[in-house]
Amino acid sequence: MGLKIGVDVGGTFTDFLVAWEDREPEIFKVLSTSDDPSSAVINGLTEIARQQNPPLSINEFMASVETIVHGTTVTTNATLTRNGAKSGLITTAGVRDALEMRRGIREEQYNNRFTNVEPLVPRYLRVGVDGRLRRDGSEVEPLSLEQVEGAIELFTEEGVEAVSICFMNAFADADHEHRAAELVRAKLPNAYLTVSTDLLPSIRFYQRVSTTVLNSYIGPILNTYLEQLTARLNKNGFDGLLLIMQSNGGVMTPQTARKTAALTLLSGPAAGPGAGLVYAQAHERDDCIVVDMGGTSFEAALVTGSPVLVNEGVIDRHRIALPMLAIHTIGAGGGSIGWIDEGGLLRMGPQSAGANPGPVSYGQGGKLPACTDANLVLGYLNPDFFAGGTIALDIDAARAAIKKHIADPLGMDIENAAAGMYRVACNNMAQGVREVTIKRGFDPREFPMVVAGGAGPIHSCMICEELQIPLQIVPRESSILCAVGMLMGDLKHDFVRTFFARLGELDWSGLQQLVDDLVAEGTAMLLEENIPAGKQRFHLKLDCRYQKQYHEVSVEVSRAWIKTRDADSIHTAFHTEHNRLYGYSLEDQDVGVDLINVRLQAVGVTEKPDFQTQRFAGEDASSALKGEREMYIFSARDFRPVSVYDGHQMQHGNRVCGPALIEQVTTAILVSDSYDCVVDKYGSFVVYGKGREDLLGPEPSGDQS
Amino acid sequence: MSQIDPILLSVYARTFKSITDEMSLSVEQTARSPILCEAKDFVTGLYDAQGNMLEQTENLPILAFSLAPVCKYLVEYFGDDIHDGDVIFHNDVFSMGNQNNDVAVYKPIFHAGELVAWSAVKGHQADIGGNVAGGYNPRATEVWQEALRIPPVKVFDRGVLRKDVWRLIFANIRLEIVQHDMRAQIGACTVGERRLREVLEKYGLRSFEDHKLVLFDATRKMMESEIATIPEGSYSGEGYVYFDGHNEGTKFTIRVTVTVKDRHITFDYSETDAQTDGFVNGTYTSSASASILTFLQMVNPDIPHNEGMIGPIDMIIPEGTILNASYPKATTFGNHLCPPNADAIIRALAPVIPDRITAGWNNLLASLTTGLDAEKGENYVDIGFMGLKGGSGAMRGTDGYDHIGMIDASGGILDQDYEMFEQQTPHLLKKHEYLTDSAGAGQWRGGLGVETEFVIGSEDTQLVTFGDGDFEPAFGLFGGLEGTLNKISLTYPDGSEVVPNNKDLITGVPKGTVYRQHAGGGGGYGDPARRDRATLAAEVRNGVISAAAASACYGFDESGNAEDDS
Repeated sequence: MGLKIGVDVGGTFTDFLVAWEDREPEIFKVLSTSDDPSSAVINGLTEIARQQNPPLSINEFMASVETIVHGTTVTTNATLTRNGAKSGLITTAGVRDALEMRRGIREEQYNNRFTNVEPLVPRYLRVGVDGRLRRDGSEVEPLSLEQVEGAIELFTEEGVEAVSICFMNAFADADHEHRAAELVRAKLPNAYLTVSTDLLPSIRFYQRVSTTVLNSYIGPILNTYLEQLTARLNKNGFDGLLLIMQSNGGVMTPQTARKTAALTLLSGPAAGPGAGLVYAQAHERDDCIVVDMGGTSFEAALVTGSPVLVNEGVIDRHRIALPMLAIHTIGAGGGSIGWIDEGGLLRMGPQSAGANPGPVSYGQGGKLPACTDANLVLGYLNPDFFAGGTIALDIDAARAAIKKHIADPLGMDIENAAAGMYRVACNNMAQGVREVTIKRGFDPREFPMVVAGGAGPIHSCMICEELQIPLQIVPRESSILCAVGMLMGDLKHDFVRTFFARLGELDWSGLQQLVDDLVAEGTAMLLEENIPAGKQRFHLKLDCRYQKQYHEVSVEVSRAWIKTRDADSIHTAFHTEHNRLYGYSLEDQDVGVDLINVRLQAVGVTEKPDFQTQRFAGEDASSALKGEREMYIFSARDFRPVSVYDGHQMQHGNRVCGPALIEQVTTAILVSDSYDCVVDKYGSFVVYGKGREDLLGPEPSGDQS
Repeated sequence: MSQIDPILLSVYARTFKSITDEMSLSVEQTARSPILCEAKDFVTGLYDAQGNMLEQTENLPILAFSLAPVCKYLVEYFGDDIHDGDVIFHNDVFSMGNQNNDVAVYKPIFHAGELVAWSAVKGHQADIGGNVAGGYNPRATEVWQEALRIPPVKVFDRGVLRKDVWRLIFANIRLEIVQHDMRAQIGACTVGERRLREVLEKYGLRSFEDHKLVLFDATRKMMESEIATIPEGSYSGEGYVYFDGHNEGTKFTIRVTVTVKDRHITFDYSETDAQTDGFVNGTYTSSASASILTFLQMVNPDIPHNEGMIGPIDMIIPEGTILNASYPKATTFGNHLCPPNADAIIRALAPVIPDRITAGWNNLLASLTTGLDAEKGENYVDIGFMGLKGGSGAMRGTDGYDHIGMIDASGGILDQDYEMFEQQTPHLLKKHEYLTDSAGAGQWRGGLGVETEFVIGSEDTQLVTFGDGDFEPAFGLFGGLEGTLNKISLTYPDGSEVVPNNKDLITGVPKGTVYRQHAGGGGGYGDPARRDRATLAAEVRNGVISAAAASACYGFDESGNAEDDS
């Protein structure tokens, strides 16, 4: 087996994780190249090749690479910056404005300066055509192919690059859409085309039209990017498998990605939860909370056996109804700026100093105090060892900015103001964790928290104290968790079909047929990607609701239940899930349960790299002790000297008592006075509540060889 | 007093908000009626032991500012008979309810055996008994013809369901889904109760109480400093209500005098016309809510919504006026007096704070259809949300918002999804698009209205209309022009056309009848001749402004030249 490389293109850095067969994985970072993100990929690979012993040319190095898994934000950025393709929409006459209306919502009700978001297809390129189906799919009016041709003529004149087709009630019968699509393919062979029922054959017109248009809008951009990237990789000697990260936490081949570009839209952080699970599994847990705090944003996700999936989300106020990992993002990061609102309350973010000008202490022109500045004043960051000493931090400037903007207005001293900034930031993040746990009916205290991102481990103890979470895991690769996750991703394809039925009076053979069809579709797709039958897995979910309820609950069901026509098991699973989510069920009442959608996820299991385990080196961490530093302790409301350790020197079994600081090049870990820390066999730092050694499991003492 | 920690204060504020948001999500996901789970016609909130507002999630603002007054009333009403596990229902408009259909659930929250707070959810129910399904009875003259009155009543006593009371209530309501929707509201209150208890267990009652007071105080100061930016003085304005549902050609005036003095603002409606014969009457809290939500759009939108925000705002709404009807008048239309009330406030303040007010918003004209979906063998009730949402008024520097709907929701109420609409009613949607030339012209134009057309799919359908805006369009300001009028019409299968009154009840509408509705645009702001030409060219191309209107209203021809430039 050859090398596997995970490549995560971020806003500032492009991260690489190189997984070798016989030694510990290596981390590389290069600066991202926003004009053509594929250059940074090649730059990084060249650099990795050069650092080999003996140094290799990129072509020599690439010959040994078997798989590259790539996460890209090109589609996300194109949407956010409005640089997508010039797009046209063919839809049912009379409803062409649904896309722009967004069902008439104004997200900020009391703000009359809050304007609607610009539609991705302007009105004059949204063409309604005659042809209508009823709610059951029966035809009321035949499709007007003349009008479809009229739309195509307009698109040709206007130089439209991407076309979407979405008709009313097409989820019940896709024939009209397919006939319109045939015509578009014949007359506009070079245009990117998305047919709504190919992408999302389920009910709810606005969700479908919005998702379809998003797919077309970014399709050509992703195509161009993937062509550039593949060409460059091939030119540099790469002959292995390239896989692309998707929003659902799985990966797909470039061929699949080209057709379903929208699946990459929220893929940026999607690799994190899967990676978090790997570290939790080292502690015999198959569930965890994963948090990732970088420079500008904080992401939180829940993993229960597998990362939690939701059926839709939003990007830049556009709805996207494709399965994606439930990742909650808030504007909280090292760069988040502290400020006092009109009522005199201290707030943190969401404005961020970003990388440029950055926090005040970077000395690059930042004037407003950021989270990082507070951390520095509190002694949590080492002014001489930030980013391994490559950025010198100016503590006096940080103090002056906090005094001026926070401490003086609140009538506090600088240290307490900095402590306040830290605490408010942590509270914001704790609320973010609530979003993915409590709001979905899970108790956060029952999960270990895997902490990632450069700024994550400095804040995680307070977040965990706030939520009473007793166990944290900080992977050694925590600063590039997403790149790790990419190597852990399976091929995943989601399918959905609308199937209306009352559970008690179900057309079982119809349902069985539908499930069989979906499985066949998934099998074909996986075979195309060279996944043999033995590595294929299928997960079935039914979207159910109580009779006349409006929103559905997705319930995992066994395919065997369908075969044996086991309505009772489905009922029970639904009642249980409803109760968990919303605090009640109607199991004891005579209320029917309706089935709305059938969802299938086809999984192609890929080979994962094995991480090397370390030899047990004993509890004594004194060889890693660097010295002492004063840091602010919340329970004392004052500074106290604490031990500072060099994280790179700490080994399996080494134990540290909080309060303490553990410094590494890419991150620092703050162990508060409520926690202790031990290094596990993968080199991860396990931070546990004092006296809660029971959480660590049967930690070996010397038998790991 | 325990030590006040300015940081903990921020933590409390943020936590309260996340609790009411979580309660809102719970209702949205579990309710049956599209009015609640699609249109989000409900509000969630937390209140202290005395009923003071801690925080709210205000999907529909017109409901928002009656929850605290009723909570205070409950505290007095039940006195020491409030227990852990109680659940109380309330809708009574003569004890500070909004509208009969808006039924509130209150749940007391206990900590260490002591009443410390309340969680509450108020939502618009699909039916509330009375003469007409769905609750809108334009022929009503008394409350009993409109609805079942629910003065404060415990449906759970110390955690035990009072089955007899529950059955009594729901025996008087047509639709079974209302029971389940009330269960969803109770569930959301429980969610709020659990979360607030966690907070109290963590920080203790003393800290909660002390910080709460400081929070109220900080918010009050914020509101006072906003009010202080308005020049002191008294300013008057009027808004108009057309037709009381009984007497053709009637018109009523809402007169407000807004007085700004000593960092307080007073809305005085003493000169407002007397109550009407029909259901076109407000209740005190629906009218006060209308004034507050209109004013909140003129100040910093980030002010927290708690008791401190309300402190510097005073109301004078005499009983017996159209905005505060006396017992036992019919009042179902009361929430919909918000648009003319807002008109009066905007007209009063426009000369004083011209940069912070909008031109007139499209008034509400709505319909509600009920009948039998023969294919499914089920009765349906549908409020036509997609048809009723017109445009908002423009303001200096910002065009009005297209298809936002009446000011009392301000974009919080959503359209039905088209395909879900066709699943839940037997109707076939033919058209739902922006209405060309509906926006009031101006340097900043009003928001666009919409046109809606569907074929009615049930025999013997009952149609209720309620609203206004078909006599007077949304007004323009400072040279901006007015928007377009509302209109509803029915074309029967035999070709005859019926135009209902704006408050009407039509029975026996046959299957195949075509329903058409225009929701008008908002008013424009500033001289249309000064509108940006590139924007106009795009609007003409997109067909939201016709070439003819661009020429007539804006002096714009398609070559891009202003015709009357010389």
